[in-house]
Amino acid sequence: MRVISDADLRGLAADLLAAGSTVWGPARVPGSPRPGVEYRPLREAAELDLGAGLPFLPLKQVFLPPTEPLFWWERKGTEVRLVPPAPPNRRVVVIGARPCDAAGADAMDRVMGWDYRDELWFARRDAATVVTVACERPADEACFCSDVGLGPSHPRGSDLLLIPHPGGYAVEEVTAKGRELVAAFPHRFREDEQVTPGETAAAGPPRIDLAGVQRWLADHFEDETWNEVALRCHGCGACASVCPACHCFDIVDEPDSLLAGTRRRNWDSCQTSRFTVHASGHNPREGQHARVRQRVVHKFQVFPRRFGRLLCTGCGRCTRACPAGQDLFEILTLVSERALETS
Amino acid sequence: MAFQPKITAFVCNWCTYTGADLAGTSRLQMAPEVRIIRLPCTGRIDPLFVIKAFERGADGVIVSGCHPADCHYNSGNYHARRRFAIFRDLLDFVGLDPRRVIFSWVSASEGGKWRDIVDSAAATIRELGPCRADTGDEGRGRLACAS
Amino acid sequence: MRELRELAVRLLETSDVQVVIGWEESRRGVRPAFAQTPAEAERLVFDQRCVHNLAAYLHPRRKHIRGLGRPAVVVKGCDARAVAGLIRDNQLRREDVVLIGVRCPGVWAENKAEGQPGNRRWAERCVSCPQRTPTLCDYLIGEDSPEPSGGPGLEAQVERIQALPMAERWAFWSSAFERCVRCYACREICPLCFCERCLADKSMPQWIESSPHRRGNLAWHLARALHLAGRCVGCGECERACPAGIPLSILNARLQQSVRERFEFVVSDDPVAPSPIGEFRVDDGQEFIR
Ligand code: SF4
Ligand code: SF4
Ligand code: SF4
Ligand code: SF4
Repeated sequence: MRVISDADLRGLAADLLAAGSTVWGPARVPGSPRPGVEYRPLREAAELDLGAGLPFLPLKQVFLPPTEPLFWWERKGTEVRLVPPAPPNRRVVVIGARPCDAAGADAMDRVMGWDYRDELWFARRDAATVVTVACERPADEACFCSDVGLGPSHPRGSDLLLIPHPGGYAVEEVTAKGRELVAAFPHRFREDEQVTPGETAAAGPPRIDLAGVQRWLADHFEDETWNEVALRCHGCGACASVCPACHCFDIVDEPDSLLAGTRRRNWDSCQTSRFTVHASGHNPREGQHARVRQRVVHKFQVFPRRFGRLLCTGCGRCTRACPAGQDLFEILTLVSERALETS
Repeated sequence: MAFQPKITAFVCNWCTYTGADLAGTSRLQMAPEVRIIRLPCTGRIDPLFVIKAFERGADGVIVSGCHPADCHYNSGNYHARRRFAIFRDLLDFVGLDPRRVIFSWVSASEGGKWRDIVDSAAATIRELGPCRADTGDEGRGRLACAS
Repeated sequence: MRELRELAVRLLETSDVQVVIGWEESRRGVRPAFAQTPAEAERLVFDQRCVHNLAAYLHPRRKHIRGLGRPAVVVKGCDARAVAGLIRDNQLRREDVVLIGVRCPGVWAENKAEGQPGNRRWAERCVSCPQRTPTLCDYLIGEDSPEPSGGPGLEAQVERIQALPMAERWAFWSSAFERCVRCYACREICPLCFCERCLADKSMPQWIESSPHRRGNLAWHLARALHLAGRCVGCGECERACPAGIPLSILNARLQQSVRERFEFVVSDDPVAPSPIGEFRVDDGQEFIR
């Protein structure tokens, strides 16, 4: 099987940087009160830190930045001129993505290319090669990827999948893009007969009945359960910011003057009360229970019905980030139990 | 080309604006870089006005109103004094040079003092140089303020 | 624990309290709990993992909590200061809440299950806490305990940054603000951010650009910190909620230092002490005014 050593993986990052690629990977964040790593554009290969676990924030920022200009506008007399943003770097490589992040981007592809093809999203997706490192074990008890049909070494959304073994990684070529990356830097990879694929990071059996959950959600839009689970939620939206599959955005105009300005899109979150508030002040999604319900129903019923994928990869980030101790896996377990009771 | 700073002055209607007017009608010569925005009272001048001015291209800001005990609304300037005291501490702490924000009391009869404030503000800002930063992405967005 | 549970049960059974807001065990450490029956009150816990400031559930924007009826809330020292802030700013009437004060031993930096790494480091704010045992309360439970020590308190962090040259201070904060994604989790969880409509959400005129670019983030962070000067109780919830890991507590602590030094005001759990920003003294310092 094809393998790459720890040193060569870092060397690959260095080669890519030297060749002018943008390389993203987990790295420490100086000045942050939170220990651990985040996905960051690397300045040098030495910053790459693959041993520090799951980044707190998801990979989606590579494809959907927290803010991005859609275009600039300028008015001259009766004419309006639109200037598109500069195209992104054509060569972007992510080294050390986690399977839940790679799969999140794949889920988002569905909605970004549905009724309208989101050019900015797909320009970034097409430009990027995702090199994923499989998890040797779940990061902590918040993880539940194996319960949503994925797993610690699931290839969905990855171009190359690296499965750790002592001193290095077994390399699974998932897509043509992945093969091209290997072909472009052959000296970083080698063959090793001893290593066989897929022996690490086994997925456990699922602990929730997804079909039951989906069924229950479809006909329990109004249910006391939502009031119960929403009590502790502050509506802060941290869960959406850290989710690799949440993709709602807001579009704003930022005028420089009466005659010119920028239209941008920014991350948004359905968990905050302002998300649905109308200009009149009326808020159709009044009450936190309706927002919590929205999050669960969208991810586990509406989205899968429409796009054939869950909008959750079980990364557990929302649970880790929630300052109020909300726990998505626990909510799913509860729903799963109620589904059993009502079936 | 030599750096020509942009300075925004937020002044109260009753004292400093009238003082600046006096400086003008007295034909006092002063630095031309200051643009005045007249407000009812220093108590109406939110620190956000200052932030906005920096965002929109100012290199320095003057905030000026009635002397203590002279406020047309009795206490607007006292409130402003507290607000701007902590605002300056905050600017200093985040590394934005507080010398870019000049606070003064100028009464309706102090045309000469207004000229001095304007001239020294212009000199200070010229020395500090332009204050800019942008939106941080490929955006053409102008300005903002890094020291 | 017995003391807390017995009191909670008694309040629910014999007085006009419909919900006791406290903490319960969960799969991942403790978390806020809303006990509405005596049986639920038997699940309440309090220990050094109870980092959350439950006063945030008392402000008028938490309509779903107000709907439960008259609450009793378990408060540590910092939480009581937040309740006092709500009363002071007319967001809550004293008689509408029952306060169960705990003699707070200080809390850990992270709310993690016993035995997990990271659960034995004091929260920074506790090292320099001005008052761990609340005076604003109807009941006071728990035992006295020694003062938390070790690790740099917040004050030390403020000093460290203040001592840097101006350009380095700017580099530190601009790289921190650059990470902000403007989710406003810091605001939503803050017990003192109770405005029905935040200035940052207003768009006519748009004082604070909502985009998380450098310009918008700078305006947001300066405005947020300023609006909490003299009101922030130092509970650290904003920083804990922030998904981007921005050291907001240091910024807050700097402004609390400012109101202390300039206006001799210390945020306490006295619900009638006027806020220093709404007040003034004729002889306030004006060394910076020409
Ligand atoms: S579930 Fe948690 S993270 Fe999400 S909005 Fe509610 S309090 Fe915030
Ligand atoms: S909903 Fe939660 S567990 Fe699922 S992908 Fe999003 S952050 Fe991860
Ligand atoms: S600003 Fe932060 S530390 Fe201060 S009261 Fe609000 S949440 Fe607590
Ligand atoms: S919680 Fe953090 S990322 Fe979100 S708006 Fe506040 S400072 Fe910014």
